[in-house]
Amino acid sequence: MGILRFIIRRLIFMVFLILGVTIMIFFMINAIGDPIDILMAERPGITQEVIDNIKSYYHLDRSLTEQYTLWLWNVVQLDFGTSIIYNQPVGSMLVNWGWETVKIQVPSILISLLLAILFASIASTRQYTKTDFGVMGTALLGRSMPGFFTGILLILIFSYWLGIFPSYGAYSTRSPLMGSLLLDSLWHMTLPVMMLAYFNTATLTLLIRSSMVDVLRQDFIIAARASGLPNRRVVYGHALKNAIIPALTYLAILFGLMLGTAPVTETVFTWPGLGFLYITAIQQLDYPVIMGITLIITLMLVLANLFTDIAYVFIDPRIRLE
Amino acid sequence: MTHQEEKNIPISKGSETVRKTRGPGMWRLAWQRFKRNKTGVFGLVLVLIVLFFAMVGPWISPYEPNDQSAMLEFRSKSPPTWKNLLGTDRMGYDVASRVIYGARTALFVGLGSMVVAAVFGILMGGLSGFTGGMADELLMRFTEFFLVIPVFVVILVMVRIFGIVVVGTVLERIPHLNLIAIIVILGVFGWPPIARIARAEFLRLKEMEFVEAARCLGAGTLNIIFRHILPNALPSLVVIIALGVGQSILLEAMISFLGFGDPKSVSWGQLLYFNYEHLKISPWASIAPGMAIFITVLGFNLLADGMTDAFNPRLKE
Repeated sequence: MGILRFIIRRLIFMVFLILGVTIMIFFMINAIGDPIDILMAERPGITQEVIDNIKSYYHLDRSLTEQYTLWLWNVVQLDFGTSIIYNQPVGSMLVNWGWETVKIQVPSILISLLLAILFASIASTRQYTKTDFGVMGTALLGRSMPGFFTGILLILIFSYWLGIFPSYGAYSTRSPLMGSLLLDSLWHMTLPVMMLAYFNTATLTLLIRSSMVDVLRQDFIIAARASGLPNRRVVYGHALKNAIIPALTYLAILFGLMLGTAPVTETVFTWPGLGFLYITAIQQLDYPVIMGITLIITLMLVLANLFTDIAYVFIDPRIRLE
Repeated sequence: MTHQEEKNIPISKGSETVRKTRGPGMWRLAWQRFKRNKTGVFGLVLVLIVLFFAMVGPWISPYEPNDQSAMLEFRSKSPPTWKNLLGTDRMGYDVASRVIYGARTALFVGLGSMVVAAVFGILMGGLSGFTGGMADELLMRFTEFFLVIPVFVVILVMVRIFGIVVVGTVLERIPHLNLIAIIVILGVFGWPPIARIARAEFLRLKEMEFVEAARCLGAGTLNIIFRHILPNALPSLVVIIALGVGQSILLEAMISFLGFGDPKSVSWGQLLYFNYEHLKISPWASIAPGMAIFITVLGFNLLADGMTDAFNPRLKE
């Protein structure tokens, strides 16, 4: 089967998947009854007429299937509806809050990749030494460390005890640090990025080290060493290039997952990102926002999976496309 | 893992002599290899410690989990003292007691959800791998659907909606209803990895010569599945289930930490949720449950690692 047919098949599956997830969330939210009824139940003094008006504004007076098709049709035209709580277009909310999430997630993934390459090369070339055990031990601990606990410890140490970094928010409420908005932003980003980077570095280091150990034992490395290449060029030039492939595909998954883990990160640091927005939207049953964020999260995860599938084929032509 | 070691092949009633000359079984061999693996044993010890606290919790915990007496004596938010070894939290609860009781909830969540997931996963994966063909294709697409959906955020929505739906129904009278719901939901979303492994193992094992031999001896399909394939698939399944227990405990902690947990149950995630806002004033109330989650997840992860090495010695050089 050609690569093109493979990609097309995956794309069709992707569409079904996105439809499946959004339909699931949509009908789950509506299964509990009308979101407006639930919201208004706690607000006495609102006449039925007003409620009916709101309902017809959000098309809640129509049948469920009609509502879903309408939502889908609007989304295809990039109209995500209006948030019930914030009374803002969901599309621009996704962009604004999403930027804050990307701001901490992308740097942390990139920093993790660099650190992991460094640590894994050090550990794998000094296999079974104290350095190796030290790196591996820290990585094993990091893989099991719950993200929010890392965050809590970071806040305790750097924010409460040492008082170096802020413990919440993305910007200073009064005056920015040293009068510079950029510096202020970086200052607030430090702890969340550290929290995310610890976990990512740990998993990536374990992955790269184990493939490094495999690669370093192969014939072409022995040949390279035998031909008199300096150790540094053998390790960083030849071995690393081959060992990093599994890590690169895992990296795609990390990018896909970054919104999935955002709720926890952003709750710990009261960070105004998509994850935080998602949590408040679920609590307040702001269903256009829930639907919009769910769609984005699913889309990213699915794209990451597609990318990994295709990358595998290009990297290793021996892989059969089924 | 050679299949001559398989214990349960009933050749005939007179095969006692054959049995005696057989070497140690695959579980015993695995245990012997496991014992030499330091990190694996460390993981097992951590898991056993958690299990110990879960079993004898009520007898060794200094206070009742709902005892707020420290509040009346103006000792809430007190740092660790001899009276309260890990201090008290903002509601006057004894942190040590709540953490000890939390072990029970954590294991209940981890094991409960994995029972649900294992039943689903082994049924789905086993069926898929054993029958093959169209059924396999369909089941695998279904599994893939569950593998790529953003599980955590979907679970959050489900838990929240479940909480609203049950209000005013008979279900509300069931104790720990929300916790049970979380366990079932975690199980329902936790089966795909198990199904994948089960399918791969069933596919591999059904072509093996000893299965062929059993079939030639006239063993029925059920007999082949339960006596020949499943026991040999168990090692891989046990590893993925052990990993899953740790992951479920972590997920429940995350759900509770975000405020979607069962407010009536004493869980580590709940403790963090209640005390996180007072982190600056009483950090001990957040550090203790956080450490407990970390130790438990670490234990199950290391245990699973150790078991992988013990069952597949060839993977490690």
